Amino acid sequence: MAKLEVTVAGIKLRNPLILASGILGITSGLMVRVERAGAGGIVTKTITKKPREGYDNPVFLELDVGYINAMGLPNPGADYFAEELRKLENFHIPIIASIGGSTPEEFTYVANKLKIPLVKGFEINASCPHVSKHGVEILSDRKLLSEIVSSVKSVSNNSPVFVKLSAMINDVVKLGEIALESGADGLVAINTIRAMAIDIWAKKPVLSNIYGGLSGPAVKYVAQRVIYELYNVFPDKPLIGVGGIEKWQDVVEFILAGASAVQLGSVIAKKGLTVFNEIIRGVKMYMEQEGFRNIEEMRGLAHRT
Amino acid sequence: MHRLSVVTRVENLAEGIKSYWLALDSDLNAEPGQFIMVWIPGVGEIPIAVAYEENKKLRLVIARRGKTSNYIHENLVKGDRVFIRGPYGNGYIYSNVRRALLVGGGYGASSLLFLASKLVNRGGKATVILGFRNKSKVILVKDFTEIGADVIVCTDDGSYGIKGLASEVAEEIMDDFDAVYTCGPEIMMTKVVHYALSKGRSVQASLERIIKCASGVCGSCVLEPQGLLVCRDGPVFDGEILIKTEDFGRYWLDKTGRRIDISRLKN
Ligand SMILES: Cc1cc2nc3c(=O)[nH]c(=O)nc-3n(C[C@H](O)[C@H](O)[C@H](O)COP(=O)(O)OP(=O)(O)OC[C@H]3O[C@@H](n4cnc5c(N)ncnc54)[C@H](O)[C@@H]3O)c2cc1C
Ligand SMILES: Cc1cc2nc3c(=O)[nH]c(=O)nc-3n(C[C@H](O)[C@H](O)[C@H](O)COP(=O)(O)O)c2cc1C
Ligand code: FES
Repeated sequence: MAKLEVTVAGIKLRNPLILASGILGITSGLMVRVERAGAGGIVTKTITKKPREGYDNPVFLELDVGYINAMGLPNPGADYFAEELRKLENFHIPIIASIGGSTPEEFTYVANKLKIPLVKGFEINASCPHVSKHGVEILSDRKLLSEIVSSVKSVSNNSPVFVKLSAMINDVVKLGEIALESGADGLVAINTIRAMAIDIWAKKPVLSNIYGGLSGPAVKYVAQRVIYELYNVFPDKPLIGVGGIEKWQDVVEFILAGASAVQLGSVIAKKGLTVFNEIIRGVKMYMEQEGFRNIEEMRGLAHRT
Repeated sequence: MHRLSVVTRVENLAEGIKSYWLALDSDLNAEPGQFIMVWIPGVGEIPIAVAYEENKKLRLVIARRGKTSNYIHENLVKGDRVFIRGPYGNGYIYSNVRRALLVGGGYGASSLLFLASKLVNRGGKATVILGFRNKSKVILVKDFTEIGADVIVCTDDGSYGIKGLASEVAEEIMDDFDAVYTCGPEIMMTKVVHYALSKGRSVQASLERIIKCASGVCGSCVLEPQGLLVCRDGPVFDGEILIKTEDFGRYWLDKTGRRIDISRLKN
């Protein structure tokens, strides 16, 4: 029997499919739905110290090759969200809190607020491509990145801390190294990639914010490359792959590239929450057919010479 | 990406409510109760119910409410371009319904018009009760009559039709119908849903919440505690589900995702 359970940086997941940040993880009712749909874990919407309304519509676009969004990190703020999470009862899958901010102080404020029993880990969103000072700028400032990681780690009560990386930075391996040296337990890759869409009849950019982040199938092969590169250098570290995963074959590809687990994001727009069980069935079938007993046996096999 | 459409006709329906006919280059195949996102470049993008669709012609009924709807009212004329995406969501379920009671309030009458025309075309009977604040707000009465629906109008002050609430009139005549549909202010829909269920009638209601992605990913349109998404699972929901939904008639999420009392929405 193929086993789907994995342990990632000490967090036990019933299967390697985690809900990606920014997708439905904003209320307790939605998290219960995601748990029932079969997810192995949930990353919350990125939460900031103060509430944010996000940008004006249009904020989301469906493309032939994926999606572009510039939601603008709307979220109810750390104080409110901590209460929202406390509403969860009989909840069994691990929650990873995604934290956003622009200074170490903002990050530790949110981490401290969200330090509640259901939260088993933190994901530092250092890679949002469309909110100024809340994302990619952090990755471009190595000292700031290192300070943010070590300050979140210092208040995390030994819960694992992940850093979510962007493919928009050339030397992603170097950044991964800085994150890990600063105390991060694992890496998540990738966030959306800065992009835009122009309407030829309006002759204007469509998003109110002009720039947004590209996700979906269009970014899958980029995300896979980043996981492969990271695994080359950090084969012993937890690596979570995200970007364009839509079917079980994609999950297998990411694990072969070196992912310990994966996240599903915009595919929910196309397939709804039933995608979790659909993919789980496929991965299981593949593992049985290929004789894998567990996910760990498959991990990184594409690197074998 | 959005589809291009062109305004072919603008009608003033009542104070602050206009109807827009749009020409499309292909059918949307929308169902009654579904909605589209209307983008006005440089201004905004808002969800609007489909009031009618036939042969690449789409009708919308738009009330003045704020930034984007005001702009539409003040600027959009015949020949202008409108950008739309959709249709989204689940509409009304109406197959096999013989005698339907439709209860609308304000611009909520719009999606019911499309529903009534489908019901009548299938040989069913549609009776619609429309409620408005006063005579100057009354819309679509002629349109419902023309497609063959029976129309009862009420106004809060009695300046047109019956003086009283649409939900009260609905209670008086509900026994004669096998299915009830409602779209309008949520306080009205709450009354209609509770009464219909107490009488053992099947009832569906079309809800509004803040729509951002319209694609079931951002969570802004959620109803708690079940985590139902208005853009994806709705906007039309079965009454049996709604009465178990704490938020129905009580709460919205604001743009940040904080739950606020429904009476605190600015109108
Ligand atoms: C499924 C659905 C169908 C709708 N159908 C119609 C229709 O057929 N005709 C019609 O006139 N109106 C309809 N509405 C309401 C319409 O979308 C709002 O009036 C409009 O978004 C207001 O935007 P604004 O820029 O004009 O005003 P704003 O100043 O932005 O807002 C005024 C008020 O409108 C509401 N609102 C604002 N933005 C949104 C949003 N993105 N989504 C939902 N509500 C919002 C809020 O209550 C807000 O307080 C529908 C709403 C939904 C959710
Ligand atoms: C609508 C939307 C909102 C998102 N919000 C966030 C967010 O708040 N924080 C974050 O770290 N990533 C956010 N993301 C990025 C996703 O978590 C994910 O990294 C990216 O979309 C690639 O995965 P996918 O192709 O499976 O969607 C968002 C993506 C989408 C589509
Ligand atoms: S509007 Fe985004 S989930 Fe409904």
